[in-house]
Amino acid sequence: MSLPSLDPRVTRLHIPDWTNPMEAIKPMDQFQTFQAFVQHRENKPIEYVGVVHAPNEEMAFLFAKEQYTRRGNTCFALWVVETSNVMVSPYTEKGSSLYEMIDNEAIENLEEGENPFEIFHLFKRGKQHFYAGRVMANSPDEAIVQAKKLYGNDGKPVLNIWVIQTGHILFSDEDDKEIWNTLSEKVYREAIDYKGADKIKKYKEENQAK
Amino acid sequence: MYGGGTIFEPTKLDALKDEDPIKLAEFEARIERGEKIEPSDWMPKLYRKQLVRMIEQHGHSEIIGSLPEGTWITRAPGFKRKLALMAKVQDEVGHAQLLYSAAETLGKTREEMIEDLISGKSKYSNIFNYPAITWADSCFISWLVDAGAIVNQLANSKGSYGPYCRALERICAEEAFHLKYGHHCVIHLATGTPTQRKMMQEALNRWWAPMMHFFGPPDTMSVHTETLMKWKVKMATNDDMRQQFLDMYVMKIREIGLTIPDPNLRKDPETGKWIYTEPDWEEFKRVINGDGPCNKERLAVRRMAEERGAWVRRALAAPKKEYVTPLA
Amino acid sequence: MNTEAIKDLLYKMADDQLILGHRNSEWTGMGPLLEEDISFSSMAQDKVGQSYVLYKMLHELGEQEPDTVAFTRNADQFHNCQMVELPNGEYDFSLIRHFFYDNAELLRFQALTSSTYEPLAKAVVKFRGEVRYHVLHANTFIKQLGSSTDEAIAKLQASIDILFPYALGMFEKSKFENELIAEGIFTGEESLIEPWIEAIQKIIDQTSLQLPDYKTIKPINGGRYGTHTKDLQPLVEEMSAVFRVDPTADW
Repeated sequence: MSLPSLDPRVTRLHIPDWTNPMEAIKPMDQFQTFQAFVQHRENKPIEYVGVVHAPNEEMAFLFAKEQYTRRGNTCFALWVVETSNVMVSPYTEKGSSLYEMIDNEAIENLEEGENPFEIFHLFKRGKQHFYAGRVMANSPDEAIVQAKKLYGNDGKPVLNIWVIQTGHILFSDEDDKEIWNTLSEKVYREAIDYKGADKIKKYKEENQAK
Repeated sequence: MYGGGTIFEPTKLDALKDEDPIKLAEFEARIERGEKIEPSDWMPKLYRKQLVRMIEQHGHSEIIGSLPEGTWITRAPGFKRKLALMAKVQDEVGHAQLLYSAAETLGKTREEMIEDLISGKSKYSNIFNYPAITWADSCFISWLVDAGAIVNQLANSKGSYGPYCRALERICAEEAFHLKYGHHCVIHLATGTPTQRKMMQEALNRWWAPMMHFFGPPDTMSVHTETLMKWKVKMATNDDMRQQFLDMYVMKIREIGLTIPDPNLRKDPETGKWIYTEPDWEEFKRVINGDGPCNKERLAVRRMAEERGAWVRRALAAPKKEYVTPLA
Repeated sequence: MNTEAIKDLLYKMADDQLILGHRNSEWTGMGPLLEEDISFSSMAQDKVGQSYVLYKMLHELGEQEPDTVAFTRNADQFHNCQMVELPNGEYDFSLIRHFFYDNAELLRFQALTSSTYEPLAKAVVKFRGEVRYHVLHANTFIKQLGSSTDEAIAKLQASIDILFPYALGMFEKSKFENELIAEGIFTGEESLIEPWIEAIQKIIDQTSLQLPDYKTIKPINGGRYGTHTKDLQPLVEEMSAVFRVDPTADW
């Protein structure tokens, strides 16, 4: 049997009358996950936007571009990184800053390390991580200490930190920018273009006249 | 889009007896303070389980919900409608992606969720088991089903689980476009030619009962949800959401000359509550348990999509990679 | 300026974009992976959006409203190449068509940025940004799938073999070809073929796939002047099913 549907697309698929249960889906059928970060405008900070499932970082980039920067979600820069390459600090309790846990002596005696790391701060539970900047360190732990030195004096308590080795991130480059330079006439895909008040008013007037 | 009719598992009174009382108290205090729970925090097993269930059902509702409207993708009349409908259905797929990702942070993989959807083990919003017979049905869905979903989603966005809140923030922003687009479509039909008006009224007649079902059974019939409400998993009762929906939309439906097919529908001036004919809850149960006009088709299409895409995923798979649960 | 020649050029581009965008939109909600579903849908929307811009340009030149043009013609009045109207088939077929089409489209838009017909020269700059993503998407998929499992390689190769003669039909010459070139409106179809072969060959060379020698393949032409496969008329009827209930109504 093929399923007759109101949807011509479905009718064309000639869906069989499944009598057997579907085969179990194998683990990793949907691939590993990547974390995506977007800078929406040139003068805005880079922020965490969400996850994509993808077989590799090139595809993760393709997918994140449409899932997180389509239409109204403007984009100036896009970064993706495999989730396993993100080092996560513990969360602090009751709004205290993670940097309070690092004593100042450790900072004073610390020299720059060999590898670049990117630092992301969480200021509020339930919100997203924001990019703080780059540090040079020899390990993720050391990177956090370096981060306190460079980015720890902004006043806002940092509740959680993500540390990512720079080499693990796929960055959009200058050359990619054109892909976000697209038709501006997309208002028909935004709420702002739908104004029905005039039609309702006209309808009411006509009906009252009757 | 998604209704309030989440099917929570009945909570047993002793469900918390194995939990560490100190940790439980800290957890509840955190919620009490208005702080969000993040994936690595300690949480009671029941919280995790019910959240997975709710977010997963929400995700399933988005992906299955893309089908009745998708019915009209190839037939949308005119450029603006065509482009908007394509974008709207795409957003629903996008919402499913966001929600599955949020549910994954609680430890259930996307593979498991897809499997449970297709096998019928997991539920999705019951309203999508009804067919979109004409273009007007798709307009009804875009406006009023989305409107109902927004009532629920706005409530849920104030819930306690961080990743779900983050997903809902984005989702609610996009739903604003869906709602306006849907309203615009309905206004055009309802104030249009006699053929268009008839088409719209008939769609309203078909969809009113499923719409009333959408928020779930009356609270007197629902399983105990006090714990879930205390933990800010469930944010509003089914009846409250239904009342809120009626408050916001009955006038908007009537002002464009449409007749809601419930002669008893009126606002009680004393209580300020809407009085309406109870929809057939037996039918709701029957449909949610598999015996609706489109249950079979919806799942068959999902299965077909998974099976047709299997070779693509097999080919792209890098077998040495290991799955890592997303962080937030 | 030769308005008839410009219209001829705009029509074929607009119809290509509309019909392929329509076909690709059929995958929305049914793609092989949620993320890919979203990406493929965006590209379909871009194509329909671009066609809308081109039909508006035609309207400026005296043709009817975009909705009327797109939703009330019959198949034999369409100027799209036959490749874009073929049913979607399985994902390999849709991907190969996407790969062939978008690589050609990027070159076409690139050539048109210096068109003497200014409205088009301006519009293609925006189109180009969108199509650059389309090409990046197509090339990434073909590179990766084309060197993966035997199953995937066999499917893609079969689709290449079917689609290649249709793809050459993208470059069917206009009856105004000489005028378009002489007036600097467009560099001409022939200017696209070699660069197109070079572009796709570069990707194919990184895979286990084979591209036929285009000099030995007879292009499937005719689409530009109304000769279509049996698949276009049902597509057009489906697309306009609601609109034609009352073409004068405001939907």
